[in-house]
Amino acid sequence: MITTVVGNYPKIPDLPAPGKWRSAVEKLQKGQIDEAVLRQVEDEVTLEAIRDQVDAGVDLITDGQIRWEDAQTHFARRLRGFSINGLQRYFDTNVYFREPVAEDEIGWVEPISVTEYRFAREHSSKPVKPVVTGPFTLAKLSRNAHYKNFKEFVLAAARALNSELRALEAAGADVVQVDEPALCRFKQDYSIFADAMDVLTQGVNAKRVLCTYFGDVGGVYPQILSLPFDVIGLDFVAGHRNWDAVRSESFTKELMFGILDARNTRVETTDEIVSAVRRITEVVPPERLMVSPSAGLEFLPHGVARRKLRALVEGTRAAKSALRGVRA
Amino acid sequence: MSLPLLPTTAVGSYPKPPYLLEARRKHLRNQISKEELTDLEQRATREWMQIQEDAGMDLFVDGEQYRGDMVAYFADEMAGFAIAGLVRSYGNRYYPKPVVVGPVGRKAPVTVEWYKFAQSLTKKPVKGMLTGPYTIAEWSFNEHYPTRRELVLELARAIHDEVIDLERAGAKYIQIDEPAIHTRPEEDFELATEAMEIVTNGVSAYTITHICYGDVPKIYPAMLRLAVNQLDLALKNEEFGLLETFKKAPFTKDIGLGVVDAHSHRIESVDEVADGIRKTLKVIPAEQIYVSPDCGLKTRTVDETVGKLRVMVEAAKLVRSELTGSRAHARA
Repeated sequence: MITTVVGNYPKIPDLPAPGKWRSAVEKLQKGQIDEAVLRQVEDEVTLEAIRDQVDAGVDLITDGQIRWEDAQTHFARRLRGFSINGLQRYFDTNVYFREPVAEDEIGWVEPISVTEYRFAREHSSKPVKPVVTGPFTLAKLSRNAHYKNFKEFVLAAARALNSELRALEAAGADVVQVDEPALCRFKQDYSIFADAMDVLTQGVNAKRVLCTYFGDVGGVYPQILSLPFDVIGLDFVAGHRNWDAVRSESFTKELMFGILDARNTRVETTDEIVSAVRRITEVVPPERLMVSPSAGLEFLPHGVARRKLRALVEGTRAAKSALRGVRA
Repeated sequence: MSLPLLPTTAVGSYPKPPYLLEARRKHLRNQISKEELTDLEQRATREWMQIQEDAGMDLFVDGEQYRGDMVAYFADEMAGFAIAGLVRSYGNRYYPKPVVVGPVGRKAPVTVEWYKFAQSLTKKPVKGMLTGPYTIAEWSFNEHYPTRRELVLELARAIHDEVIDLERAGAKYIQIDEPAIHTRPEEDFELATEAMEIVTNGVSAYTITHICYGDVPKIYPAMLRLAVNQLDLALKNEEFGLLETFKKAPFTKDIGLGVVDAHSHRIESVDEVADGIRKTLKVIPAEQIYVSPDCGLKTRTVDETVGKLRVMVEAAKLVRSELTGSRAHARA
């Protein structure tokens, strides 16, 4: 049983400091620095995000997605065929992203996240997993001004992102995570989703993680267990009904168990985490569990995000020894 | 204080001039007193009132120079809240997100003194400007109430008291912003509607709610049931695509028509804005239309804001003259 995170992490420190990333973006906008200086600052902030995760003792980390403006445009801007439109609300959060518009054939041009992955791996003493926004979520949060239907759009995005996953694998990633929060909101399109996942993972041999959040998978469970992934991430906070799902039919994969509320400042106690882990081990054995927050931690202020990481690690450690006690 | 056809107004916030931003930073570090800060907030408010006069606007806002964030401001002034820290909204925009740590309620009127101050500076009507209960709840972390419903309804009662106080202070137009209202349309729209009924219950002032971004089509025409006179919406953000939605069921309230983008640096042309208004006239009668920016303008520079307000007023005047001209002609 290991600990991991979903992905993003706060880019700025708590008040009163404005934070070097935020200051750098402002300076770039005023023309006082160039892009290269901002990239340098992003590297520094990425190192801090890595340090927070490593220091807390998280087993499998990400680079904190410090360089992502949002999960959609980070990929859409670097794929062929997209333009970028106005602000849209990101699911039921108070975070806004710029809407990608498919105006032409979507295609992969060059690696998007490989340099970022390499940088994080070189600077982390813990294993790093790269994260790619899945084609279904990307298409659902984009406007289709090119393809004759949604399915064609999703499959084109899946083909493009398949190249990205292959590039990450070629760069040495032995775990790759695909984020598909939109699955929880658009279950009626499950057959398209499943087709897209086949296309997306074609020829990708790394350990594959499918991460869902902001809701449950009731209605598409147990079907999702036949998707070409080794690990499935489920949100047990916003998706409380996932408890019913995993009890309804045996969970045959590894589970990324999203149990710490990534969207509330209240930090879970060790007892709460231990008891949640005990409950989940009734249906998924500990060796097939990764314990994690319910979503990316960037919804929280920096100090709280750091406390959540520590609670995650301490709670999971306590759960491990509690379970050993049970077995002995 | 009667308004012309196609009255021009604004959504609420204007950018803070550099001297005020500097003063706020200093105040945060305890380098200047609250009184010194308030003086500068008043100076900035006077400047924005003058800018609105000069631009020829009809229905003013105070510009919210004394507010940091539309939710944190109320959280700071009310009981039951703490501030957790900054969280990202988009790009490099952050806001201080409050945490509900105990029972929420008003300690004293929150906005009334600022409303009176702004209104004392002009003969034009000034809107009372509040954040709605659903949005305050949704944009706070909740560590206290077992359900969102309890929190929202408790906040609705507090904001209602504030509406009553504004009305007593003379406000004829009161806006209760609910930009978060369509966050969970299936789950929560009825709750938000119920909350707005509490907020405006027994109020005779003209009431407005501002709703922006997110999935407006999903709450249309249900949003016409909100207990306000006017819905203020961002049309320009999607190049008036929302008009297609409004063709599906008659728009039975007044509309605050967002005609300039609040989050782009580009200043629209008068023709472009006038075209947006003309397009709208094919769907909603002129008598129901107020002309406004898409959203609060606080993220623009002062120059961009002045530019956008001027263009908006010019475009409204242009279309107004076309309408009154053609009516005169029709009568002749």
